Amino acid sequence: MPSLISQSEKRRLVIVGAGMAGSKLAHDFEKAHGDEYQIVLIGEESRVGYNRIMLSSLLANDISDTEMPLVDTQKMQEDGVDIVSNDPAIKVDLKNKTILLASGKSIIYDQLVLATGSRASVLPIHGSSAPNVMGFRTWSDVDVMTQLDGRRSVCIIGGGLLGLEAAVGLVKRGHKVVVFHRSSWLLNRQLDEESAELLLNRLEQMGIEFRLGESPESFLQTDDGRVSHVVCKKGEKLSVDLVVMAAGISPEIALAKSAGLKTDRAILVNEQMQTSHVDVFALGECCEFDRQTFGLVAPIWTQINVLMKVLVGKEAAFVVEPTPTKLKVSGVNLFSVGKIQPSEEDSCILFKDVSANHYRKLVVNGGLLVGAILYGNVADGSWYFQLIQNKTNVSNMLDLLVFGEAYCCPQVA
Amino acid sequence: MTATMMTATSAKTTCPYCGVGCGVNLTLPYSANEAVPPVSGDLEHPANFGRLCVKGSSLAQTIQSDDRLLTPMVGGHPVAWESAIKTVSAKIAQVVKDHGPDAFAFYLSGQILTEDYYVANKLAKGFIGTANVDTNSRLCMASAVVGYKRAFGSDTVPCNYEDLELCDLLIMVGSNAAWTHPILYQRIAAAKKQRPNMKVVVIDPRETATCDISDLHLAIKPGSDAAIFSFLLSDSVQAGILDQGFVANHTNGFKAALAQANESTPSLSLTADFCEVSEQDLASLVDWWRDTAKTITFYSQGVNQSSSGVDKCNAIINCHLATGRIGKEGAGPFSITGQPNAMGGREVGGLANQLAAHMDFATPGAQDLVQRFWQASNMATKDGLKAVDLFQAMEEGKVKVVWIMSTNPMVSLPDTAQVRRALEKCELVIVSDCKAHTDTTAMADVLFPATGWSEKDGTVTNSERRISRQRGLLPAPGEAKHDWWAICEVAKSLGFQSAFSYQSVHEIFAEHAALSAFENNGRRDFDIGHFSQISKAEYDALIPVQWPVPEGRPEGTKRMFEDGRFFTSDGRARFIAITPSFPKSRASQEWPFTLNTGRVRDQWHTMTRTGDAASLAKHTAQPYVEIHPKDAKRLAIKDKALVRLTSPYGEALLKAKVSRAVALGNVFAPIHWTQQFANASVVSNLIPQVVDPLSGQPESKHAQVRLEAVGGICYGLIISAVPLVLSDCLYWCQVPSERGYHYEVVWPSGQTQASLKLIDVGQSQDLAEKAEWLEYSNPITQQIRLAKLVDQKLTLLIYSHPQPESLVADWLISKLAINTSLSAQDRLAILVGIPANLEDKGDIVCSCYQIGSKQIEKAVTSGVCSVDGLGARLKCGTNCGSCLPELKRFIPTVAELSV
Repeated sequence: MPSLISQSEKRRLVIVGAGMAGSKLAHDFEKAHGDEYQIVLIGEESRVGYNRIMLSSLLANDISDTEMPLVDTQKMQEDGVDIVSNDPAIKVDLKNKTILLASGKSIIYDQLVLATGSRASVLPIHGSSAPNVMGFRTWSDVDVMTQLDGRRSVCIIGGGLLGLEAAVGLVKRGHKVVVFHRSSWLLNRQLDEESAELLLNRLEQMGIEFRLGESPESFLQTDDGRVSHVVCKKGEKLSVDLVVMAAGISPEIALAKSAGLKTDRAILVNEQMQTSHVDVFALGECCEFDRQTFGLVAPIWTQINVLMKVLVGKEAAFVVEPTPTKLKVSGVNLFSVGKIQPSEEDSCILFKDVSANHYRKLVVNGGLLVGAILYGNVADGSWYFQLIQNKTNVSNMLDLLVFGEAYCCPQVA
Repeated sequence: MTATMMTATSAKTTCPYCGVGCGVNLTLPYSANEAVPPVSGDLEHPANFGRLCVKGSSLAQTIQSDDRLLTPMVGGHPVAWESAIKTVSAKIAQVVKDHGPDAFAFYLSGQILTEDYYVANKLAKGFIGTANVDTNSRLCMASAVVGYKRAFGSDTVPCNYEDLELCDLLIMVGSNAAWTHPILYQRIAAAKKQRPNMKVVVIDPRETATCDISDLHLAIKPGSDAAIFSFLLSDSVQAGILDQGFVANHTNGFKAALAQANESTPSLSLTADFCEVSEQDLASLVDWWRDTAKTITFYSQGVNQSSSGVDKCNAIINCHLATGRIGKEGAGPFSITGQPNAMGGREVGGLANQLAAHMDFATPGAQDLVQRFWQASNMATKDGLKAVDLFQAMEEGKVKVVWIMSTNPMVSLPDTAQVRRALEKCELVIVSDCKAHTDTTAMADVLFPATGWSEKDGTVTNSERRISRQRGLLPAPGEAKHDWWAICEVAKSLGFQSAFSYQSVHEIFAEHAALSAFENNGRRDFDIGHFSQISKAEYDALIPVQWPVPEGRPEGTKRMFEDGRFFTSDGRARFIAITPSFPKSRASQEWPFTLNTGRVRDQWHTMTRTGDAASLAKHTAQPYVEIHPKDAKRLAIKDKALVRLTSPYGEALLKAKVSRAVALGNVFAPIHWTQQFANASVVSNLIPQVVDPLSGQPESKHAQVRLEAVGGICYGLIISAVPLVLSDCLYWCQVPSERGYHYEVVWPSGQTQASLKLIDVGQSQDLAEKAEWLEYSNPITQQIRLAKLVDQKLTLLIYSHPQPESLVADWLISKLAINTSLSAQDRLAILVGIPANLEDKGDIVCSCYQIGSKQIEKAVTSGVCSVDGLGARLKCGTNCGSCLPELKRFIPTVAELSV
C-alpha cells in the first residue's frame, strides 16, 4: 500500500467527500488522467463510493447490499487512487495546500475538490439531538432503521422526497409510520395539490399516516434522553420509538468556511466550479452556483463533466438546467420538472384520470413547455424534459401535447 | 322463370330507393337472432345487372331498426287495430257527412307499392268521392308528367336505360345522377369508357360529381335551363337538322313554338348571356346537338322543381320532336324519377289531377268508365288538391282528415312552418309509417304501423316503365300491417265491403291490370291487360317487364313512339311555345343568396331508412351548406363552422362547406336532415311555397336566403351510451353510429367542465357516485374533453372546442360501453380521439370499404396514379363505384404531374 503522504511525480488531486459526487469524480478522473494525477479520495463514512440514491430501495428491501456500489472502489485502488475512509477532513490550509484529517494525518494537494455534501436539517425542536432522532442520509442510517425489530412507531418529519422514501421503506418493514409535513400537500416543491392528493391516497393505502400542514410542537424525552412522544399542535401525544428528520438538507460547509472560502448557503462557485480560491473547487450538494444549490444527481453529473475539463485546464462551463424529479418508491410513479406552480402568464394543460391514478399537468408559456408534472404514467417524462431543455416550440402540438410523445411525434411511435 | 322463384330463405326483390329500380337479392339469416346478411345485386335484373350503389348495398343494415312503430296508436296510446280502424272510419264518415268528401285527403308516397296506391286511389275517388289523393311524387316529377302529357297526350316515358348506353350525345339537365341515380350513372360512365366519342354534357348551376365524366359542363344561372333548349330549337331549323317529315306527319304546333323560340332566344350570344355561360361552351353544345342524331336529354329534379318546370320539360321535348329524335334507339327526352314507385303511383292515377290508369277527369268518358269498372258508389268528378294546395286548404280548415302514408311532409314540403300549422289545424291526422318517430308522426293523432321493405309484397315501376316485384321475406314485426290492408279495412269499416275484400295482394294487381285494359283498345298508353287474370303463383314469379304489356304482348314494350303515333286525340305530338323564365324568388339586398337544394351521395330522402345504417353516415355526417370561398371570406364564415340561413319563411343552422362547386352568390344545401337527426337543420323551413302553375310542383330548388356566421359558440362532440335530450345545445346533429349515440353539437361559448358534466343528468341510469370522470382541459386551445366511466366502462364522452374540428369518431364509438374495461392506453386515447397507433383515415370517401381521404392521399403520394390503381391498392371504388368521381379528383392531372 503506497504511503498516503508519498511524494510523487504526479500532480495531486485531493477530493474531500466520498459520497456520490466525490467518488464518481475520483473514478472518472482516474480513468481519464490517472497517468498524470495522483488522486486522493477522503471520506468520513466507513463505506465509500456507494450509490446514495439507492438507500431508499435498500431500506424498502427492494435491493440488497451488493447492488449499492456506485463505483468499484477496489478496482480504483488497484489503479492507484488513494481512498481514505472513516477519517473526516477537519481542516484545510489553503496557503500550504494541505488538509488535516481527524486521524491527524496531513495530506498535500495541488488541486482540491470539496464534495462534502449535505446533512439532514435539524429542526429547532427541543430533543432533536436525542439518540433516537436521526436523519436519512447514509448507509449507516439505513443500518439503524433496518435493525429496528418488531413493529415500532416511527415519526418522520418532512413529506418531501426523502421523507416519503423513508416512510415507505419503514412501513414496508412493518413499522407504524406517521409523517408530519409542514405544507398542506406532499412534495409541495414537486407536485401540485391534485397530483399530491393522488400520491397521498396511494401512500395512505400503503398504511402511512399523514399529518399535513403540521410540524411537531415538541418531543417528550425519557430519563435516558430518548424521545418517547411527539407532541402535536393540539396537545395530542404520539408514542414513538424513532424520529426521522427529513425536513430538508443543509449543505455541509463547515470545512470550507473555516478555511476562509466564500460561502453563502453553500460554498460559492463560478461556472468552472471554482471556489473563491484558485486551486479549490467544489461540487455537489455543498456548492452554490448562481444562488442555487443542488440536491439531485443530474446537475451534479454535469458538474463532474465540467470539472473533468477545468481541472486539466480545458474550457468548460456549468449551466443550470431544469432537472426532473422522480420518487423512488416502487409502485408510485411521479415525475416533476421545471416550473410547476404557474404564474399569471403561464397556462396549464391538464389531464386527469383520478380513478386510474393518472394525472398530467403541463405548464406552457409563450409556445414553450416550462414545467411538467406526471403522476401514474411517467413514460413521457423524458420527452417533456427534452422539450423543456431544448426549448422546443410546442405551439403546433398544443392540442395533443398532454397526451405524450406517441401522439405528437407519431413517427417515433 | 325459375331464377326468379322465391324460396323460403331468399327472394329477388327491388331496391326501395331511387327511381332506377335495381334488382336486389335478399337472404334470410340462418336463425332469427342473427342479422340479415348483406344484400347483393340481382344479376338478371335489367336495371342493374347485379350492381348496387352504396345505399342499396347497405340495405341489410337498415332492416333492424330500434325505432319501428309496432302497434296502432290513438292519441299517443297503443290500441288494437280494430279500435284504431273504427276511430278513423267514424271520423271520416262524420267529416264527409258534415263537410262533404273533400274534407278528406290522402297524402301518399312514391315509396308505397302500386297495389297500396291503387286501393287508396279507388277508395278516395270511387267511394268517398274526393280526388284529394296527392303524393310526395308531386315534389319530384309532377312537372315531368305534365310535360309529357302536354306533348304526347299521355304520361309516357319514351326511352329505356339501354338508350343511355346507345346514345352518342347525352345531355344531363338538373341531375346529379352520380349521387342520386348511381347505377344509371355507372352504366353511362361504362358506355363512355367503351366509346370515348360519346359526349356527355351536364347542365347544372353546380359542379357536381356527375361532371366528372362530362365533356362539357354548363354552369347555368339557376333556373335558366329552358333558354338553352329554346335556342336549340331555333338553331335546329337554321342548321337544317329539322326532321320535316316527322314534324309534318306526327306533330302539331311547330310554327308557334318556333316563333316563340326565335323571339325568346334570338341568338347564341343572347342565350349565353341569359344563362350566364360562355358563348364558346354553349356553341360546343350546339355543335354536338347539330351533329348527333342519337341524343338523349336526361333530366330530373333540377328541371322539375321549378315554377316553370313543365315549360322546361316541353322546351326539351320540343327539340326532340323537331329533330325526330324520339322513338328511336339512343334518342329521346328521358325524365328520371327520384322514387322507387313514383311511376307506379302515376300508373294507378294516384295524383290529385289524375283519375285512374292514365285517365284524367277531363278524359272524355273516363269517369263513367272507371265508375262502371269499380262499381263505384260515389265517384269524384273533378281534380283534387295538389300537395301545396292541400296543406293550405288544411290550414284553412277545409280539409279536416288527412291520411299520410309513408312520407314526411314536415321535412319535404316547402315552408315547414305552414305545414305544421296545417297539421295542427287538421282535426284528424292519420300517419302510416314503419317508424315510430319522424317529424310527421310527431304531428299524428292516429298512427298505423306499416310493414316496410323486405316485408312488403307488391310491385313497383322504375323510370324506364319496368314493373318489378318487391317481395316480402321477413315477417311483419309486432302489429305492423301492409298499407293496402289498412286502407281496405278502413274502406270496409266505411261500408264498402264488396269493393275492398281482397284476399291477397295479387288480386289488387290483377284488378289494376284489368282496369288498364278496360275498354282501352289502344287508346291509352298504359295497358297491362296481360296481367288481368294473373294468379298468385304467376304474380310471385313475375319477372321485370316494361309496360305496356297488353293482352298478347307478354314481353312488354322496350321503347315508345317508334311508330310516331301519340296518345293525343289526333295521334299527333304537340309542340308547346315556351318563354323561358327565371324562378319566382329573386335576390335582394335583404335576401342576397340563391339557395339550391339537393342530395348527398349516401342518404335518401329524410333518412328514415338510410339513417339506420351507420356506414352511410360516414360520407357526410352533418347537414351542410356549400358556399363559394369568396362569399365565405366576405362573411367571415370558416369551413365547417356553423352558419345560420334565414329566409322570409324560417331559418336553418348548417355547417359551412366552402367550395368552388357553387357559384358566387349561390349556396347549396342537402335536404335530408330532419328534427330526428338535427334540431335546427330542416332546409324546407327556408323554401317558399312557390309552385309551377300547371304541375303544382314546388320550386324546392330555389329560395332566397341570408347567411351569417354564428358567433359566441363552441363546438362539441358527444358520444353516449343512452340517447340524450340536448336542450342546452344551440345545434345538435345525431350521426348514425354502430353503437350508442353520436352527436355533433354547438353550445353557446363559456362551457365549463362542471356545466358539461351535467349533460346526461336525469337521462342516464348511471349512479353519480359510481361514475369516474376522465378530464382534459387546455386553456390555450380552449379544449375541454371529458369521459365518464361506470364500472370502468365508457358511457359518455364529451369534447368541446372553440373551432370546428373534424374528428373521425369511429374508434371512440367502438370503445363505448364495451364489456371489457378500458386499457390504460385507451383511457388516455379516448380523450385524444384515436389510439396512438391507429391510422387517421381522414374523411371517408369509399363507404363500401371505409377508405378515407388520408389513405387515398397517401397512396397517391406513394405513386398510385389511377383510380384503378387506387382500387387495386385500397379496394376503394371497386364495389358500388359511387365514389369513383371523388376518387378521380385525388389523381393528379398530367399538368400537375409535370410540375
